[in-house]
Amino acid sequence: MTKKVKIVVFSLLPALFLGWLAFQAFENSAAYYYTISETSALEETDQKLRLKGQLVEGSVDYNSSIPRLEFSLADQDAQVEAVYQGVLPDNFHHAQEVIVEGKFNTQGQFLVSKLMLQCPSKYEGEE
Amino acid sequence: MHYLGLITLYLALGFALLALLAGAGLFRLAPDLARKANSCSVLTTALSTLALVVSFLTDNFELAYVARNSARSLPVVYKISALWAGQSGSLLLWLVIISLFSLAVQGKRSFREKDFDLRVNTVINAVRVLFMILLLFVSSPFESLADPPINGQGLNPMLQSLGMVIHPPLLFLGFSGFLVPFAIMTAALWKREGGDDWLEEVKPWAVLAWLFLTAGTVTGGHWAYTELGWGGYWAWDPVENASLLPWLTGTALLHALHLGREQAGRKLWSYFLTVLTFALTIFGTFLTRSGVLDSVHAFSGGALGSIFLAVLAAILLFSLGLAWVRRDRLLDLETEEHSLLSLTFAIKAGSVLLLLLFAAVFFGTMFPLISRTLTGREIILDAGFFNQVTVPIFLVLFLLMGLAPVLPRKQAGTAALWRKIWLPLFVGLSVGLYTCFTKGGGAAALACAIAAFGLVAHVKSLAGGKERRLRLSSVLVHMGVLVMLIGVAGSSAYTDSVFVSVEPGEEIQFGPYVVSYMGLQARYGIDRYSVGTTLAVSREGRELGELTSEKTFWENRSQPSTEVGILSTVREDLYLNLAGWEGQTAQLHLQRFALVSWIWFGSGIVYLGAALGLLAPKPATKADKQVKAWSRTF
Repeated sequence: MTKKVKIVVFSLLPALFLGWLAFQAFENSAAYYYTISETSALEETDQKLRLKGQLVEGSVDYNSSIPRLEFSLADQDAQVEAVYQGVLPDNFHHAQEVIVEGKFNTQGQFLVSKLMLQCPSKYEGEE
Repeated sequence: MHYLGLITLYLALGFALLALLAGAGLFRLAPDLARKANSCSVLTTALSTLALVVSFLTDNFELAYVARNSARSLPVVYKISALWAGQSGSLLLWLVIISLFSLAVQGKRSFREKDFDLRVNTVINAVRVLFMILLLFVSSPFESLADPPINGQGLNPMLQSLGMVIHPPLLFLGFSGFLVPFAIMTAALWKREGGDDWLEEVKPWAVLAWLFLTAGTVTGGHWAYTELGWGGYWAWDPVENASLLPWLTGTALLHALHLGREQAGRKLWSYFLTVLTFALTIFGTFLTRSGVLDSVHAFSGGALGSIFLAVLAAILLFSLGLAWVRRDRLLDLETEEHSLLSLTFAIKAGSVLLLLLFAAVFFGTMFPLISRTLTGREIILDAGFFNQVTVPIFLVLFLLMGLAPVLPRKQAGTAALWRKIWLPLFVGLSVGLYTCFTKGGGAAALACAIAAFGLVAHVKSLAGGKERRLRLSSVLVHMGVLVMLIGVAGSSAYTDSVFVSVEPGEEIQFGPYVVSYMGLQARYGIDRYSVGTTLAVSREGRELGELTSEKTFWENRSQPSTEVGILSTVREDLYLNLAGWEGQTAQLHLQRFALVSWIWFGSGIVYLGAALGLLAPKPATKADKQVKAWSRTF
């Protein structure tokens, strides 16, 4: 092999391999970011979504023995009903913003697979 | 107190500027005076930090930073660690660590010949001046309150842990450590002519920085593992990725530095990796401080992010320019042939894999930004993406690493190779097949096989006597990483989880364990009360120990905090979270993770190996000495 061929082989092959891996992995793990108002115009989809919104006061319903957490998230114009099968996080009620990842079911409920909270006091005070 | 902190910081800036300008040759200053200016700058930086520490210890809530991150009742050790609980304090800690490195550079005797230390410190001081300006004018920890509160807001309970005390300083030691190789290379290339010994000079600093960065990342993982809701020891969170990226390129750098000196492109490659690693430490700060990505870490945004982005661009442009101007010193065309079955080739292939991992993690972390720019819609890639892409590459990489002690430097005879490889191969295959059939899990079983193969190959090489090509330190580091691999494979594949509601006196069967619940206990403190439970755990009739989990409610905080219980054995960890209760009926979340403790044990071996490499450097061979003498004549 000449030097040039070698360089091409050793840089192109790994790059192609990486591209193939990334392509394979993309489909199952990509979550599309939508605002809550955008979801009302959304047609039925099996795509994983990520939503961010404020907790609607009084909407939280937690059944600790299953455990199952129901709540509503809202932005200025719309709100979404969400269901999370899991333990209530400690700082849930005081979260500044709730980020959820999951899919809509046929009843229009958002089934949460991953729940993240952004809290004012998580790392540093309000600035 | 805040005046003292500010004045000393201004003085530090003045001294650092003096040392910087003198070092850059903008005006003449006797070398010893330049060194004294540098020392004074380090001293005043330390005093300024001390002023902040004393403010924390004396509950000086006149300082906004202290009021925000501390309270009277906080234990002393957390009052000290609260120093880096916020943004500006973290910057100050980082600055102090960089300052200590500049002192170490100045103290190194071989650097003081020809005043090389002054030139290295010029680069370091440029970074220090930047940090001081940020601390004085952008994000100051010495801002005072006109109306100081009687008590501070206190430190977030999640930050009141040993992890918070040791993880950030170690990480900052790692981040700043990679500034030194960058500074040495820049200083060496700044002159038009010179020898090549800078590559050798860089080695110990790179190893030291790598050791700290590894320890910082692993302790961060351990902390996240013990803290509820942080997604386990590794969640592919942007902030975690920010410390993994320089680790990947830093690892490639260490291997590039240990390539034979005859390899063409070694200098250019090392320079490229040094610049990239240093740039990534800055990039990590940009990522965590700019708020461009959603993260569970939720740092505050602000001007700092864009400043770091500008600095990053400046560093990259400067380094590219320097490499172009000094290309004749970076390129060397002499090379030595080596076969595909050689250590040299394995190192090169491994470096390519490390860069692939870097590219994958970088791409995945930045994908929300990339997709937002290209399509207007943000697309987030979750942990599944990172696992699917990186696990295959990691496995090939670890297989190569396991081969390292078997391979000769340049050329291998197949017969000699076979003699060394049959035993590791046999053990690896047996372990893999056994794991696969008894426990299942394809990738995890493969990982165990690869780890067993590599471990046997490395242990066998230790007994090889004169034939051994890898240094003991490298063998230990490799073995530690392989032990960690077993832990990661086990704890991600062989897990179990159960959620139960139990009455006092009830026993739960969980896998091979019997766990008995005896009710809840309450504890009261000055500013808190806790409700917790302690479970007795037994396995096959033998008592194993206890698991305690409790929820704490704080007087001045609206949300409670949960301490999880972990019972760690060699075989697996039991993980308990007291999720809630009604009367004496408790809801328990019990989990099992196989082999987790191997990760922490393996990391210990890695530290030992890296420390050994630093303390007992390889005696220089005759050829090394010749080259050194030759390069000094320039």
